[in-house]
Amino acid sequence: MSVGPVEPHVLATEDFLEEVHSFEFWFQAVEGYLSDRPYGRTPGLESPVLSEGDREALVTTLCNYCVGETMALEGASGMIGFAPNRQQKIFLATQAVDEARHLEVLLHRLQELGVEDAEAEIGRRANRSLLTFRDRLGRLVESKDWEAALFAQNVILECMEFTVFQTHAQTADPVTREVLEGIVKDERRHMGFGENDLGRRLAHAPHMRTRLAEIRKELDPLVLGTFEETLEELDTPRDARPELGRSYLAAVARLGFGS
Amino acid sequence: MNDPLQAMRPADDRPRQRYTLEETGFNEVPKKYRRFYRRWEGQGDELAPNEVLCPVCKVVIRSTRDLRVGDRVYCMPCMSRLVVAEGEGGRLEARVAY
Repeated sequence: MSVGPVEPHVLATEDFLEEVHSFEFWFQAVEGYLSDRPYGRTPGLESPVLSEGDREALVTTLCNYCVGETMALEGASGMIGFAPNRQQKIFLATQAVDEARHLEVLLHRLQELGVEDAEAEIGRRANRSLLTFRDRLGRLVESKDWEAALFAQNVILECMEFTVFQTHAQTADPVTREVLEGIVKDERRHMGFGENDLGRRLAHAPHMRTRLAEIRKELDPLVLGTFEETLEELDTPRDARPELGRSYLAAVARLGFGS
Repeated sequence: MNDPLQAMRPADDRPRQRYTLEETGFNEVPKKYRRFYRRWEGQGDELAPNEVLCPVCKVVIRSTRDLRVGDRVYCMPCMSRLVVAEGEGGRLEARVAY
């Protein structure tokens, strides 16, 4: 059946939320940018041979991305069980699939770069701050604290990943760039889901803000420190870094969390 | 159900300019919605009267008519509900309405 354009802006709010949280929406969205890209890249696309130094830096960076994506996979799948409603459960199921795909394409890229034992490399190169963040997020999920887990994962972590991957893609080799650009398209949904769901909750229960601000104070330095190190590793020019901070701070400011 | 954003619509009843939306290559939403969005090209990217930038994910949102203060638009790529407001220098901008 042919489907013509449909003006989305005339949808009632309830219909819009139902639509964008649906599995069908997700399936048709990812079809647009993944169907012809096995492992997130155009078949046959080649990268120039990297110097040993550049390769080492990229491997370390991708290993840390794998830590982040594994954390998000475990977090999203764990949150399905205590998500407050059906729409959120379905959305989180699609997010879990996205995170699994991210992990797979990053592992595939590591393999292309000559990494034979990715698990060992990830263990050796993982950033300590990121591992601490992972443990803290894991405890929030275990405690079934919806607002705190959503804030830590879908606002703090996803927002930072979104901006770091975008920044990295601008200077990456062609293959890594395509892989990262595909991931960024998924991250738009994840961080939007977190900010919007939390925003609706805070509007009805503003007292939550104090508790979440405490969590933010604890987790912010861990994630910011991790990504600062990542950008250092990637030789991202210093004048490109404030943009990263601004994007993240803008998101938390919209939710009413001052710096 | 009443939508508070609908109640915020201004009493501007001048006729709206209509726009025919072409495909933009944007591929992050289902096909039937793709022409309502496009990638933002950065600071030099001038928005048309029927476009606003999503502050959450930086995708350009497009409408089939010119946008005015108080209009509601949706950013499907990041699932945000937005309301058009007047920004610095009278420029239209979208603000998140949770």
